[in-house]
This record gives sequence, C-alpha cells and structure tokens, in this order.
Amino acid sequence: MQKPHPRKGKVKITRFRDSWRNLTRITTIRIAAQCVTFAMFLAFVLLTTFANLDRYPGLRLWVSKILEIDPLVSIATAITTHTVYKGLLWSLIILIPTLFLGRFFCNWVCPYGTLHQFVGWLFRKLRPKDTIEVNRYKDIQHVKYYILAAMLVAAVFGSLQIGLLDPICLIYRSFTGALLPAANMPAQEIFGDYKVHRGAWLLGIVIFGLVAMNLVIPRFFCRVLCPLGALLGALSRFAWWRIERDPVKCTDCDLCLLNCEGASDPHTQLRKSECFVCFNCIEDCPEDALSFAFLPPKKHEVPHTDVSRRKAIFATVAGVLFYPFVRASGRSTRDFSAKVVRPPGSVEELEFLERCIKCDQCIRVCPTNVLQPAWFEAGLEGLWTPIMNFRIGHCQLNCTACGQVCPTGAIQRMPIEQKLGLGEFSEDGPVKLGTAHFDTGRCLPYSKNTPCVVCEEVCPTSPKAIYSERRSLTVREGKKMAMSATDNTVRVTEWPRPGQPVGEPVLFDIDRWRGDETTIYHVSIRHQDGTTESHRISGNDTDTVMIEGRFARRPAEGAAVVMQIEFKVPKVDTNLCIGCGICERECPVVGDRRAVYVTAEGETRSDQYRERDRNRSLRLLKTASCSGGGHASEAHKIDLRDFLT
Amino acid sequence: MSDGDLTRREWLIRGAGTVAAAGTAAAGGFLLHDPDGDAGLRKPSDGAQRLRNYFETIDFPAGDPRISVAVGNESQIEQLVRAAVGGLAPNDGIKRFVSKGDVVLVKPNVGFDRSPHMGATTNPEVLRWVIRLCKEAGAGKVIVADNPIESPEACFAKSKIRDVTDEEGAKLVLPSQVHFESLVIRDSVPDARKREALGRWPIFYSPLAQATKVIGVAPIKDHNLCGASMQMKNWYGLLGGRRNQFHQAIHNIVSDLGMMMSPTLVIADATRVLMRNGPTGGRISDVKIGGEMGRPSVVASVDQVACDAWCCEHFLGRDPAKLAYLELAAKKIAAQVAGGAKRFGEPDWRTYERQGKIVTTGV
Repeated sequence: MQKPHPRKGKVKITRFRDSWRNLTRITTIRIAAQCVTFAMFLAFVLLTTFANLDRYPGLRLWVSKILEIDPLVSIATAITTHTVYKGLLWSLIILIPTLFLGRFFCNWVCPYGTLHQFVGWLFRKLRPKDTIEVNRYKDIQHVKYYILAAMLVAAVFGSLQIGLLDPICLIYRSFTGALLPAANMPAQEIFGDYKVHRGAWLLGIVIFGLVAMNLVIPRFFCRVLCPLGALLGALSRFAWWRIERDPVKCTDCDLCLLNCEGASDPHTQLRKSECFVCFNCIEDCPEDALSFAFLPPKKHEVPHTDVSRRKAIFATVAGVLFYPFVRASGRSTRDFSAKVVRPPGSVEELEFLERCIKCDQCIRVCPTNVLQPAWFEAGLEGLWTPIMNFRIGHCQLNCTACGQVCPTGAIQRMPIEQKLGLGEFSEDGPVKLGTAHFDTGRCLPYSKNTPCVVCEEVCPTSPKAIYSERRSLTVREGKKMAMSATDNTVRVTEWPRPGQPVGEPVLFDIDRWRGDETTIYHVSIRHQDGTTESHRISGNDTDTVMIEGRFARRPAEGAAVVMQIEFKVPKVDTNLCIGCGICERECPVVGDRRAVYVTAEGETRSDQYRERDRNRSLRLLKTASCSGGGHASEAHKIDLRDFLT
Repeated sequence: MSDGDLTRREWLIRGAGTVAAAGTAAAGGFLLHDPDGDAGLRKPSDGAQRLRNYFETIDFPAGDPRISVAVGNESQIEQLVRAAVGGLAPNDGIKRFVSKGDVVLVKPNVGFDRSPHMGATTNPEVLRWVIRLCKEAGAGKVIVADNPIESPEACFAKSKIRDVTDEEGAKLVLPSQVHFESLVIRDSVPDARKREALGRWPIFYSPLAQATKVIGVAPIKDHNLCGASMQMKNWYGLLGGRRNQFHQAIHNIVSDLGMMMSPTLVIADATRVLMRNGPTGGRISDVKIGGEMGRPSVVASVDQVACDAWCCEHFLGRDPAKLAYLELAAKKIAAQVAGGAKRFGEPDWRTYERQGKIVTTGV
C-alpha cells in the first residue's frame, strides 16, 4: 500500500528537496538512532573479551553500558539491595526522559526491540487490512504488567528474577551464549576457537522463538512479555507529550494502525502506556490529524495501564509465593550445591541472588570459558547465573575480568592483589573459590597403580597446593614365597593358597619388575621370625628377582616375598588450595567425572567468611589507589611489581 | 488442442527432466555406494603429513661447536643472544641458520599465565633479540606460536611475549582448531613398553607448515614430573588434543618430542631460571638469576639433547643422568640418523667437551 504524500500536488518540489525531506523525517532519524544503539550494543558485546580489556582497560566502563542504562535493572536491584551500584545511575538518562516523553526507549534505544522490528519488517508481509487488524490493542498485552508485578514483588523478598525477561539482559545473554558462538564457528580462522556454553541450544531456541513470534503478532515480546516495557509504560502515565489525534480532521480510515509498533490505538483514545513513540502513525496519517502534542486533552487518552485489579493482585500473589517456594527448596541455603562455584569476587550467595541479572557478561569475558550459565544447580532462582565448569576451563590466577564487567556488583570489581592476597591483602589471604578433592576410586595413582600427578604439575600456587607423597602398594597377586636366595637375588614360587600344592612355579616376564623413573618396584621380604626388609628391584628373570644392594639376611625358604609398586600419590593442602580448578581441567581421567574435582567448600565468600570479605572490600575503598598500596612494606612492593607488570 | 493437454514440446522437456533427475539419483547412489558398509571403519586418508627436518637444509660442518654458551648481565641480552649464536658459527653468525626469504617459526615457552619475572615463560627480551637476528639475516617472515596450558590471550599478554612480537613485527599465531592437523609422527601404533608415546597426533601445524626454519627458545625450569623442562619439553606446546594423558609416562613423551622435532636451532634462555615449584613457579624466590651459574646466560645449540643435558647440570645443578628422557631421545634420534636423517642427539655433554665442541663466551 502506497502511503499518499500529504502535500502531493499542492507544492512543486524538486527531487533534491524531496529526498532532503525524507532524510529529516522524524522516522528516518528514529531509524538512524536505532541503528546507532544496535551497533553500540553489538560493538560492546564483541569488545567484551579478555584480550581487549587487557589492552584497553578503560573499556571495562563501556562494555556493559547498555545494561547500565536499563531502568529495570537499576530499580529492581535497588529494591533487592537498597543501593544503586556504580554505573547503574546511568539509567536515569532513560528513566527521566520517559517521564516526559513516554516509552521512547522501546523504539529508539532498545536493541532487542530493534531486532524484533527489523525481523518483522523483513519477514512479515500481510495484506494492509490484516496488518491493521494485528496492530490493534489486545488484552493479552496486560501480561507484561503481571510479569513485572510478580518479578518486582519477588525482588522485594530478595530474589532478583527480572533478568529472565528483561530485554537487555536477554539479548546480551543470547548473543554471548548462542548467537556469537554460532557466528564464530565458521570464522574460527579469524577469531579463534568458539566457546561452548551449557544449554546454548535453549538460549538459541528462546531468542529464535521470541523473534519468530513477530510473524504472528508484531513486536510480540515488546507488547506482551517485556517487563521493562511494562515498567516504562507505567512510568509514561504522566508524560507531558504524547501522540494526539484531532477528531475533526480524522476520517477514521485507521491507516495510522498500519505501522503502529506498540498497538496503542492511535486511531481512537491513545493508550499511553503502550505507545512506543515511533511516530509511524503521524507519518502514515493522510489527513495530518495526528501530532506529537504537548499536554493534550486528557479525555483523548487511556492513561492508566488498563490492568484488572484482581488480576494484578493475583500476579502479586504469584511473586509473594515465588519466594517461599524457591527458598523452601533449600538450594541456596541448607541444600547448597557444591557445584555452585561462583566467579572470583562474587558476593555471598544470597546477596548474589539479589544482584545477578543473568546478563552473562562475565561469561562472555571469561578467557578460559570456565564460566557457564547454570541450569538448576543453584536452584530455579539461579538459572543462567554464572557458575564454574572445570571440565571446560579453569579460573586463571591473574584474571579478574568477570568482576570488571559485572554491571550490578554480583561479582565485585577487585584488583588482582586482592584475589591473590598480596600487599595490603596479605593478611586476608587469597580469594578462595572452593577446594580440590581427590576421587580416590578414579585417581590413577590411588586406584589404578599408574603414575600420574598432572594435577601437581599445573597447580599454580606457590608453594603448590597439590603435592605428592611416595607410596608403596602391594601389587595384585604380588605375594610370593621364597625358594632359595643369594646375596642379591631371590627365587620365588607362588604363595600357597588353600587347595593348591606348595611350590607352584611362577613365570614372570623378563624385567617385569624393573620399573622406570616414575614407577619404582620394591620387594619386601618378611622373614619367618616376623622381621622385614625392603629393597629396590633392579631386574628379574622368569622366577628370580634381583635387587639393588644386598639382603641384610638371605630370605630362607618359605619367607614371604611381596612385590610392591612405589609412585607419587597426589594430596591437596586445603589451606593453600584456591579452588581455581586447573587440576580438574587437566586431569587425564576424563570420563564423566575427573579424578580431582573442585567444590565450593571453603569458599571465602561464604557466610562464615562474609564479614572478613566485607571488611577487606571496605578497606579497599578507603585506600587511595588499588595498584600502589601506600602502606605496603618494601617486601610487598616487590611482590606487587612482579604480579602487576 | 485444449489448455489441459501437453504439447509435444512440453512433454519432451518434462520427460527429459524426469529422466535426468532419475539418472542423477541412480548415478549418485552408485557413486556413493558403500557395498561392504565399512566406510566408517576406514582410516582417515587425509594426507599422511609428516613434520620436516628443519636442520637438514642448513650447512653445518661436523667439526664446528655444537653448544655455545654466552654468560653476561641482565642488561646485555642483545650481546648474550648474539654471542651465543655467534659461537656456533664464528664467521656467519645467524646467517648460517637463517637465509634471505626464510619463514622462521620461533617457538617460545608461554605455557602459563605468568609475568616474565616468574621464570615460567621465555624471557621476552631474549625472544626480541632472536626475532631481530632472524630479521637481520633477511628472514621474510618470523612467526611466534605456542599452545599454552592456560588461555592463550592471557598467557601471551601476561608474559609480554605478545608485546615483543608486535613490536618486532613478527606474526603471532594463537592456537585455534583450524591451525591443528593430524600428523603422522610414527608409523606404528605407539608402544609404551618401547617407551613410545606418539603415533598419529593433532599438531599445531599451520605455523610449522609455512616455516622453513624453526628455532626453539625455552627457559630452563624445574618440573615436578620429568625433573626439568627445557628445549625438548618446549615442543609440548606444539601438541593439540588430549595431551594431558601423556604425563603418565612423561619421559616417553618428552623423548618422542625430541625425536619428532628436528629444529634448526635451539636457544636456551637461562636469564631467569626456575629452580623449584616448576613448571608453574609463582614466587620470586623460586627464581634464581642465571641459575647455579649465577649469571644470566644464553645457550645456543644444534643438538637439543646435549643442550638439555648441559643446561640441567650447569643451571639447575642436577645430574642429567637422572633425566631419563635424554637417553631415550638419543636412542630414538640415533635410529633416525641410522635411517639417513641429518641431525644430532648426544645425551652426554661431556662427549662434546672432550671433542672441543662446547664454546663459552663472556659478554
């Protein structure tokens, strides 16, 4: 359908002036703004990598900016924490104009809205009559207010769930977990290996499904589900400007609905809370009956959100009940999962759930890919929050990138000395994420008589938290009986078992017991009077074992000759272990579980250490600089230089 | 003719189309047919790539020194590197090893996310002068590559190797799946009883494929498993795949690495020697400047086995006879030499000392 130009035929316009008018049209400017904000979003997400932050530290203030201007993030975290964290004050640049202009964010700024609008424009082609019908206001648009109410009520109790549907969190998360890795897969030559993300398929289905809904209901997410849209809708109730219809000029042709993004009924009483201020209706009106007017007559609008009070109360009840339901599940309290190893600098779990908006910026920036979106390890509340998966990566010693980009302080910004417990933090010791444990049933030296200790090799603390002890074990069926002996050899037969004749011959492979540098075989002699002696084996014949050195006493016939294997068995010093998980990642016992694994046990953010952590963070704020440390002793300065250069 | 009927022309066209489609289907089916159903079992036939011998192409007289040690101060890295390389080829210097237009792969040890002071990674200044020397000799391109244990970006940044590489105009290749290729290291299936570890294995191949010369530049480090990590252990950074499984028989793999790689030259960085808590270190007190020699040194050699033995004794102060991988590598290299390969592999540095093939230069 061609839109008639309002002045066609009245004024003769040159082609140049015509195109200039097109360029300066308010909708053209709006599209330009949308392109700019979307490009900014995309650039910020792409720049959120360890390598970029390492090269350009100032970037950390920018990469989460689109999240920081999101008023729902700042209001909801203000409800849970009674504070507005650092950059979240930026949300005022959206919030205050909304009070005057209405929900302009949805069609001028929001990158997720832009994505929906673009996909709808590209793929949804209906007859004009049908388009007008799908753009009429529908009762289903109430749903977002119920969602917002339930989420904010849950926030009052301390469970922050807005991140599930907040459009900015959702688009950041989808790009990090699904879309960028997908784009990276064919472009590995340029960008390096793609990262893996647990449940990427679900993130992919969610964003694809929500975007696909545009083919059924235009801007389905924005109109029906978006809690941020609901918040801005509620805030726009008192807006000074809005779209105003002049009933005298209006011929009730309904063409204003042709491109109405918000389904806000500009053809009759405008639903202020639904209008995205996209200006399409003004462009489309053939009669010039619509305008963006300052304080127009109140009777021409539906100012309130038109939500049924009973349903709103019901939604509130849902939010009220959500809290006891999830907390009574116990996942974040007494039935805390040891798998929930949070990134370094994370606040204590209950505070974490008050702050984390599931935007997954930390996951995006993590250089080793160890940070993964959680499923239900941390309970329903913890869905898509960051936890560490040491099968995929490990927490790199000299890295605090996750805290640098966290917009809400769920992961605190922390200098590297604090993480490592150096300089002024040396009294507190390093930040400990958890503790390594050995699964002795799977560990090669423990259970399979195979030398290994890769875990010790890669352990990054100094001294190493994983150390090894030499241990001797009797080899399977290694007990034999001496027949005859010289000073340094002993000939053996099988140890007699019930029902078998004494003197059953043995048949060793030649040098079966010689061992090498990592595996040492000993022979332990138990004389008949109960005394024992042990010697390293230097080699063997089919039935004779040679030792290094000489026997103190030649084994007499009938003495027990026991073959023992000696190798290094790994141990963990829990006081030194920081839970970085590199041992688990590098463990060669791959299977479904590694033989060494890290759990959240002993994490310094937990309740028992909470006060100490708070204190040191506060102390940090009081010192002038993070990197120098004016009070640091000379010895500390050397340490700092070594770690910071 | 009524509208519903096909004309003869239409009938012919449609008929020809249908026949062509049927023919394509049948031809495709027969072409791709796997009558015995064993296609899934066949060995991958993708080019049985092997690593080249990067020493073979240089002219190295048998009587020349094979280990060259330069001892000096921390401020004299340039002179140390020049003197060490110069000791091997008094007249030509680096030009004997790198010719005009060569593509040189310089392989530092960037295994861990540590700052240079920690001695866990190659001293970036040593690397800088190795790159400069290559460029002076007219190298067309210098590539720096390693596959660290920790995240490559972080390791290359923290160790300052990236800075030096960028400043010197060398090309940094970070590991990524596309750079790895399965190479034949040994024709037979590796047999642990014969102290073998590698058969066919994914190797960080794209930089190696381009290179005409390979120079290893590794620090001298204590190693909790194999005793010492030096030049031969450095090639571990060329392995991909699940390489952590090799640690159960570490001497087998390190000696296999010595057999696998025949570099043009190795340059041992003994400026900061990691004496204990290796291979990661982590404290300044784990590091000793110049190791047991007491002064920062750089050692250049065309025999990585003898070089490792010499460095183990002189910098770590340990008996190289206890490093089982030296003897094993020497045996494996001897087998290659018997098969016609041109390279050196002497496990006992004293042999060279007796032959006068070790030169020491004070800087």
